[in-house]
Amino acid sequence: MAQAENLKIALDAIRANKLRTVLTVLGNVVAVMSVIMVVAVIDGVNTYVGEKILEQGLQVVTIDKYGLITSDDAYRDAEKRRDLTLRESQALERRMRLASRVVAQVDAVKRVRAGRTELANVQVRGSTAGYDEVGKFEVTEGRHFDASDVERRRAVTVIGSEVAAALFPVADPIGQSIKVGGHQLLVVGVLKSRGNVLGQSQDNLIVTTLGQFEKMFGSRRSLTILVKGTPGTPLERVEDEARMVLRAERHVPVGKPDDFGIATAETFRALYQSLTGSIYAGTIALVAISLVVGGIVIMNIMLVAVTERTREIGLRKSLGARRSDLIGQFLCEAVVLSTFGGVLGVVAGIGFALLVRVVTPLPASIQPWSVLISLGVASSVGLFFGVYPATRAAELDPIVALRSE
Amino acid sequence: MSEPASPAAPATETPSYEGALIQIRDVRKVYVMGLTEVHALDGVSIDIARGEYVAVMGPSGSGKSTLMNVIGCLDTPTSGSYKLSGTEIRDRDDDELARIRNREIGFIFQTFNLLPRADALHNVELPLIYSGTPSKERRERAREMLELTGLSDRMHHRPNELSGGQRQRVAIARALVNHPSIVLADEPTGNLDSKTGVEIMALLADIHRRGNTVILVTHEEDIAAHARRVVRLRDGLIESDRPQTVRTPAIPSAAAP
Repeated sequence: MAQAENLKIALDAIRANKLRTVLTVLGNVVAVMSVIMVVAVIDGVNTYVGEKILEQGLQVVTIDKYGLITSDDAYRDAEKRRDLTLRESQALERRMRLASRVVAQVDAVKRVRAGRTELANVQVRGSTAGYDEVGKFEVTEGRHFDASDVERRRAVTVIGSEVAAALFPVADPIGQSIKVGGHQLLVVGVLKSRGNVLGQSQDNLIVTTLGQFEKMFGSRRSLTILVKGTPGTPLERVEDEARMVLRAERHVPVGKPDDFGIATAETFRALYQSLTGSIYAGTIALVAISLVVGGIVIMNIMLVAVTERTREIGLRKSLGARRSDLIGQFLCEAVVLSTFGGVLGVVAGIGFALLVRVVTPLPASIQPWSVLISLGVASSVGLFFGVYPATRAAELDPIVALRSE
Repeated sequence: MSEPASPAAPATETPSYEGALIQIRDVRKVYVMGLTEVHALDGVSIDIARGEYVAVMGPSGSGKSTLMNVIGCLDTPTSGSYKLSGTEIRDRDDDELARIRNREIGFIFQTFNLLPRADALHNVELPLIYSGTPSKERRERAREMLELTGLSDRMHHRPNELSGGQRQRVAIARALVNHPSIVLADEPTGNLDSKTGVEIMALLADIHRRGNTVILVTHEEDIAAHARRVVRLRDGLIESDRPQTVRTPAIPSAAAP
């Protein structure tokens, strides 16, 4: 029998039972929507992380007291470690052959004031020279502070563009002074804006010399040490050398784990990938459950349809419909039904992805493969779960079917 | 319907049963219900020639429905032989039976059995869909049949927009559209008022006059009176089988050209 005819019958049936149809295909809607949504969002996050986070720190090994903390116990253990000190940073600088730059820095969130304007919650960073090189900072006005500033523990600062705009809306910030922790700092440079990462401004900070920071807030803070490798050296080798030097410096016995955290962008990327991997696994589980539930609901409703239309089936048989004609008709109806659910899911998924795009910084984008695969799977569900009802229809005895009410 | 102008006058001649259209020999149909066997047909033999107009009568339980199902190839006999146009039906599988029903049999039901969501034209097209006729030809032939049954102005009406008589005319058009060997009408006026019933019987008489073989299953003497031959069944056996002269229909054929 002509497929066009089957399609027409299927669409008629859907039109005749609109509400029932929508409820029936809900499982498929949820499944397809989840796939498209999750793929779009994860892809958005990937792009975002790739552009904003990984590239910035790609060439630097970061060493701190904690490292990547993944549990409460790990945090408590890390708390007991000795702080990283300037002396260790200097040792790295002295003894590493693969490092072109070693920078020690420390951060705190403090109030910053200029005249009558005060900003709460500014990230205040104390650093040795070279912070610009490891952090890829540029100045738009003035200069960076240098090694001699650091050595003399000068009260100089380079401020973020957001801080500059807030404290000095009209005047030129260079040569002005700002007040932090009871000390005056001379502004020598303004940093180029870096925008937002995960909704957090990158320009709401000031950088001063490590010595000045310790004068203001004391020296009892563990430092973060950033190591930049010599050009062309693979980062793992830089990381290995830094680890070796630091273990020796801190007298870590052979066979014991590091008593510091050491990481590169690769470490974050690996962590991130394992994270997205589990998100994908979760999605697949959700989708599988929705599809099975959805498929069973479709099977049920098709069995109802076969019962409702027993007489029609009897009639069609009396007019010459073969088993294969009826199987074709009811399978087509099940597939159209489940594909219809898939299409609703695609619409909902795309709608959601666009919403994410508009209201969050994530550039969520629809992946054509996710649309095709999820639609394909949704249709196959109809095909699979439609077999039983269609067979039931085809096997009806025409005499009994014609006599049914 | 292939020879629309055929002026057949079978009523006065005795039909020849040599190589008859329908040859039924000692057909039995046994249903097993629980522990008892029900002999719905208990050895029926009958020949029906092309162009006859036969009424099958009998009280309920007489086996007339079973005989109709067997003739209509909806059911196969337990034993005995049924030849339709010379082909033995008994050993056919489901698909072959479906094909025979499609090509050879035109059913007319008491309850019309139209598809409620399809218009008249589409209902008439149904048998042609299952015979694989291309859609353009389907449309053309369905339209012709609806014109023949007097529904040219109702082609795009759905069953619920049609009167009972009009619905049965759609069903008759559907029964005729594939040029079947047999038109099998099961109580075709059972759901109609008597005036409409008379009109439908006149239409059937007209269809017979055009050369079709019509088999009518009924329990009403008035309706059976339209046929040229009456077969009576009782307890699965043929009780009587005799020709009859037809009274002129009360109303001249409604669909006569």
